[in-house]
Amino acid sequence: MKKILALVLALVMCLGLLAGCGPAPVDPTDPPAPTGPNNPTNPTKPNDPKPTDPTQPQKPLAGTYDIKVWVAAEIVELTQQQIADFNTTNDQGIIINATVEAVGEGDAATSMTTDIEAGADIFCFAQDQTARLIQAGALAQLGVAASEFVTTNNDKGTIAAVTSGENVYAYPLTSDNGYFMYYDKSVIKEEDITSLEALIAACEGAGRNFSFELENSWYIVSFFFATGCVSEWQTDPDGKFISVNDNFNSEAGVIAAEGLKKIVTSPAYVNSSATADFEAAVPSAVVVSGTWNYENAKSILGDNMGVAELPSFEVNGKSYHLASYNGCKLMGVKPQTDNKRAAALNQLVQYLTGEKCQLERFEAKGWGPSNLAAQASDAVQAAPHLVALGKQNAYSRPQGQIHGSWWDIAKLIATDIKNGGEIQTALDTYKASMEALFQMSDEVLKAWTVIGTIGDSAWANDLAMTEQADGTWKSNEAYAMDETSEFKVRQGKSWSNNYGMDDAGNPVLDGPNVTLAKLGVAAGTYYVVFDPATGAISVVAA
Amino acid sequence: MKKYTDLEYLQLPKWKRLVYTLVCFVCAIPSGIWNFVKKIFTAVVGFFKAIGTECADIYFTFVNGDWKTRVSFVVMGFGSIARGQILRGLLFLAMEIIFVVYMFAGGAHWMGQLMTLGTRGPEKVYDPIMDVYNTYYHDNSFKILLYGVLTIFFIVGLIFTWRINIKQNKISQQILASGKKLKSGKDDLRSLVDDNFHATLLSLPLVGILVFTVMPMVFMILVAFTNYDSLHNGYTNNLFSWVGLESFNTMFNWTGDNVNYSVTFGEILSWTLIWAFFATFTNYFLGMGVAMMINKKGIKWKKFWRSCLVMTVAVPQFISLMYVSKMFANNGIVNGFLLDMKWISEVLPFWTDVNWARVMVIILNVWVGIPYLMLMVTGILMNIPQDLYESAKIDGANAWQQYTKITLPYMLFVTGPYLLTSFTGNMNNFNVIFLLTGGGPNMTDVPGVLGAPGETDLLVTWLFKMITTSEPAAYNLASVIGIMVFVVVAGISLVVYNVMPSIKNEEDFQ
Amino acid sequence: MMKNDNRPTLPPQAKRSLGIKATNFISNLVIYVLLTIITVIWLIPFVCIVLQSFRVESTWMVGYVLPQKWGLDNYMALFETKFPVWYMNTFLIALFTAAGQTIITLCMSYTLSRFRFKLRKPLMRFMLILGMFPGMLGMIILYNVLKDLGMTEASSVPGLILVNIASSGMGYYVSKGFFDTIPKSLDEAARIDGATRLQVLTKIILPLAKPIVIYTILTAFMAPWGDFVFARYISNNNIDGMNVAVGLYSWLNLDQINSHYTMFCAGGVLVALPVTILFMCLQKYYVEGVTGGAVKG
Repeated sequence: MKKILALVLALVMCLGLLAGCGPAPVDPTDPPAPTGPNNPTNPTKPNDPKPTDPTQPQKPLAGTYDIKVWVAAEIVELTQQQIADFNTTNDQGIIINATVEAVGEGDAATSMTTDIEAGADIFCFAQDQTARLIQAGALAQLGVAASEFVTTNNDKGTIAAVTSGENVYAYPLTSDNGYFMYYDKSVIKEEDITSLEALIAACEGAGRNFSFELENSWYIVSFFFATGCVSEWQTDPDGKFISVNDNFNSEAGVIAAEGLKKIVTSPAYVNSSATADFEAAVPSAVVVSGTWNYENAKSILGDNMGVAELPSFEVNGKSYHLASYNGCKLMGVKPQTDNKRAAALNQLVQYLTGEKCQLERFEAKGWGPSNLAAQASDAVQAAPHLVALGKQNAYSRPQGQIHGSWWDIAKLIATDIKNGGEIQTALDTYKASMEALFQMSDEVLKAWTVIGTIGDSAWANDLAMTEQADGTWKSNEAYAMDETSEFKVRQGKSWSNNYGMDDAGNPVLDGPNVTLAKLGVAAGTYYVVFDPATGAISVVAA
Repeated sequence: MKKYTDLEYLQLPKWKRLVYTLVCFVCAIPSGIWNFVKKIFTAVVGFFKAIGTECADIYFTFVNGDWKTRVSFVVMGFGSIARGQILRGLLFLAMEIIFVVYMFAGGAHWMGQLMTLGTRGPEKVYDPIMDVYNTYYHDNSFKILLYGVLTIFFIVGLIFTWRINIKQNKISQQILASGKKLKSGKDDLRSLVDDNFHATLLSLPLVGILVFTVMPMVFMILVAFTNYDSLHNGYTNNLFSWVGLESFNTMFNWTGDNVNYSVTFGEILSWTLIWAFFATFTNYFLGMGVAMMINKKGIKWKKFWRSCLVMTVAVPQFISLMYVSKMFANNGIVNGFLLDMKWISEVLPFWTDVNWARVMVIILNVWVGIPYLMLMVTGILMNIPQDLYESAKIDGANAWQQYTKITLPYMLFVTGPYLLTSFTGNMNNFNVIFLLTGGGPNMTDVPGVLGAPGETDLLVTWLFKMITTSEPAAYNLASVIGIMVFVVVAGISLVVYNVMPSIKNEEDFQ
Repeated sequence: MMKNDNRPTLPPQAKRSLGIKATNFISNLVIYVLLTIITVIWLIPFVCIVLQSFRVESTWMVGYVLPQKWGLDNYMALFETKFPVWYMNTFLIALFTAAGQTIITLCMSYTLSRFRFKLRKPLMRFMLILGMFPGMLGMIILYNVLKDLGMTEASSVPGLILVNIASSGMGYYVSKGFFDTIPKSLDEAARIDGATRLQVLTKIILPLAKPIVIYTILTAFMAPWGDFVFARYISNNNIDGMNVAVGLYSWLNLDQINSHYTMFCAGGVLVALPVTILFMCLQKYYVEGVTGGAVKG
């Protein structure tokens, strides 16, 4: 009878299984896409008006679209209103039926990378998440016209934020993610606000704190950029980081760290950027923070609130003005499988990030626009926090793309120095961990590799090739191939430079996959040979 | 070393007994390992022998079977139905049908890709007409692994059922041959609430555990042997694949160029053990002390004291611990109060200094943990026979002696197993650490380690950071950490079992 | 151990007559003082949270404890947010989890305590080993399994219930310990009288097991109110699928904390209130449960 139990158990489990994978095995052998990577699909809707479809002339995008949108909680209603406006004003006949949900800029990237399928079609995120989202495959690259729309209408910093390699991946939404200084006028005298040393002394003297979130990499650059250090990352078009130009571990870096030491070792130092610190049990007199805290600081300090650009610090008799990062918020579109839908979504986002909507957000919530025309408007020019940010912007640098691990690396400089560590040791550690991020040498970047369904590649592992005397590259091993085998040859383990083959056997940059049929050989074990000069791919029997 | 007889052993002072037990344990390790190897060997041999016997049995069942039995080899349950045991037969048949349907519906597909975990990643395609980039998704490594594993579970289950089905036929045939009657479906059903009631009771819980605990664990253990991380999420960017022991190599590499992971692991593991030790024993003794105070004869408002203390059990920790963590911040009200009172001249770095932070989490854990202990000890104290104390008093024992000679030994004996579970529970005490310090302050000596480990991180909070906040999220490394947590917990339990007599002598460790 | 701190100061003879009384009095006094101090320390944070929830002059974190202006604004404001939804979600989860978990746990522990069958010991050993893996690892995969069942994000409530119930078989130790203390002779007598095992369970054991049943219900009901790790992962930031813990926790995000901090405290009070009252009322059973079960087990 125990056996019967086993049976019942098994049955129940099967039912669970069926329920679980009922919808799962969508036959992956029949994708809606063509065979090779980057092989453009045949457009189902040609651009020219179809004479046979007289009801919708010139409006290939007309239709109703059910979409999901994620924006910050405070602009949910505004966004609903703006989408409704879009439905009435657009001349393409697009009707957007949107579910707008409140998912903050900080959470959106996490939610998208956790589960892209269930993620929103349109979502907002902070710019430091761009590379992560591209790498996760959660951002659709913009087409030519859309890219141009972004680059002509927005300020330079935000353009850098949405670009990876040459490709544009998102639309700028704001350009106000920088930081400057809030201070309490009852404690800090006007003449002290330009000097870090004077500010620290004033705080210590008054028994007040100095809030500066230096154990956060975003704020620590303030000192390093001030002394002329750089930390710039290069990405390839797929969002991968190729190299970094970073000299924090240099003479200038040591000077910066000296300045940093002054504040982090002060008893007044608090690692925070919350303006509520003005009202903490041990209240702060200075808080370095951004525009998002303007209303809060104002309601706490009232008339005593001072807003100013960051101060300067002095090392070896020379003065350095604290710098900052200048960041922004972005709006992105999830990769789609339907051309028409993708195009309609892009139309909507262009509207939502256009001049009109950015000004509406500025008026309703004080969000500083990225759109050049909106920035030029009088109202924006007169906003006090944006003015302070504008002054600080003279010393700020655009954030661009930053490697995700860097955020955990750079902040350790401050922690280390605060704990009494040697400056040079802290910087050496920093440099060592930066170098560890790039184990991919130049050699690897230049090398050609085979990738496909042969060997243990599985379109994920690159199979090594070696350069021959005649300038061609030959795979190190021979691989068993049959009629179903497909592969391509690429450089630097990246798809930015790869070769395929057309049906006639001619090499095509970024072309369809290579098969034995195209090569005109039978199944067998072959070496792959590639000629970078012509792009020609051939096989040699083992 | 010298072996003591039981009598000699009992004459030894307490600490010597413990040392003796420990030495015995250590000495027994080699032979223990040898026995273990032998056991495995015997088990493997036994396994193959059993398979051989089974095969022979199946063969003879087929040869000696009537046509009903033989058909059952292909159509499961046929024999049972033909012999009148409709219910059993239908269950067998249903199992087979579901299996076939499942395999066709996708099981076979997932199984087939299990070796490669998919061959075709997503494709990004430019559509010049609409001027948009679309992405087409193909294989999904995650699902292949998940449903591949499930399918294997299923196949094993089917083989098992098939074997039972054959055996059933054989037995039925024998019973009928001897002229007896077969059990009816009604008998089967009745036995489910009587003779086999345990099977009925266990079926539902076990299915739940199988699907929602065992299966995830098997899956996550397998993940440790892949390169599954957020850069290879298996579907929308890159597929992941089997990489063997590479993740273990990353984590435990202490000779190569990047030893940071093994150093971090060592640091976090040792802090985890220190933490678990202090968290367990501070709670244990302080909780016992508080309980004894409240329960002392002559103390009034027992219920009031108890109710006040158990607030920390009743109020969800994410509220109370979050608030307490802010209270002790550098500019929090505790520092503000101390400054106002002029007791300190500079703020105390409760969370920003390593040593302070470590001591603080242990102290605040007392705040959360004592009430549990208090409630438990209260019950036990009542169970200690009062005449023990009476006779002790007559013999002139003072309170301290009564405590060390009666209360403590009794408590230790009764709560021995609890101490062990409490220790391992504290090793995985996520809430207290995560809500109070978030693992901080940061470790500065191990740059470049994913998950941004901190000085108060436990293995389990580090694991959590690896899955959620780390950039990229390293699921494979998290899985390695998880496996190591298991190894450590299992190792400790094994040692404690063998050394602590009160646990060993329990009927079962429960 | 604190009881006799003062003991050596008394002359030995005094112990006989008035000494015992005096010692007792002094030691009791010391204990009262200690208990008072402990209780105050224990309650300070809770008092602070309650006070914060009534502060209406500002909504962010401040450095003083006593509000300058008192009012119920924070509580009112809660009803304009998704808080009622989160509260309802949590209540449903807690209710169903309590019901399901109790049934499963009782089945499991009763069986393992009362029946002796071939696979019993291997099964218990297997579960012991299984319990040594950190459960957090399973989060990613459970998310995906639940997603395939359509039980994540906005509809994560049934998903959380399912997972809570399904994995509750693992926590049978305490109640098994309790069942072990019920004499087996009762079962046997009933069996001899012709009762089936089902009848033995429902007619004889369950009435005796009231404390452990209540203990199980209580712990199962309380747990979901504080679950912010797993619930957060399953709801994946979807505001409709959050439970109170996840929802309130999201108010501590940088962009929300200034406008929601006092509401967080008010929400916290509303969450803690029913759970605490329930716990206080059923404390007796809780004590019986942990002592009868945890200790024996």
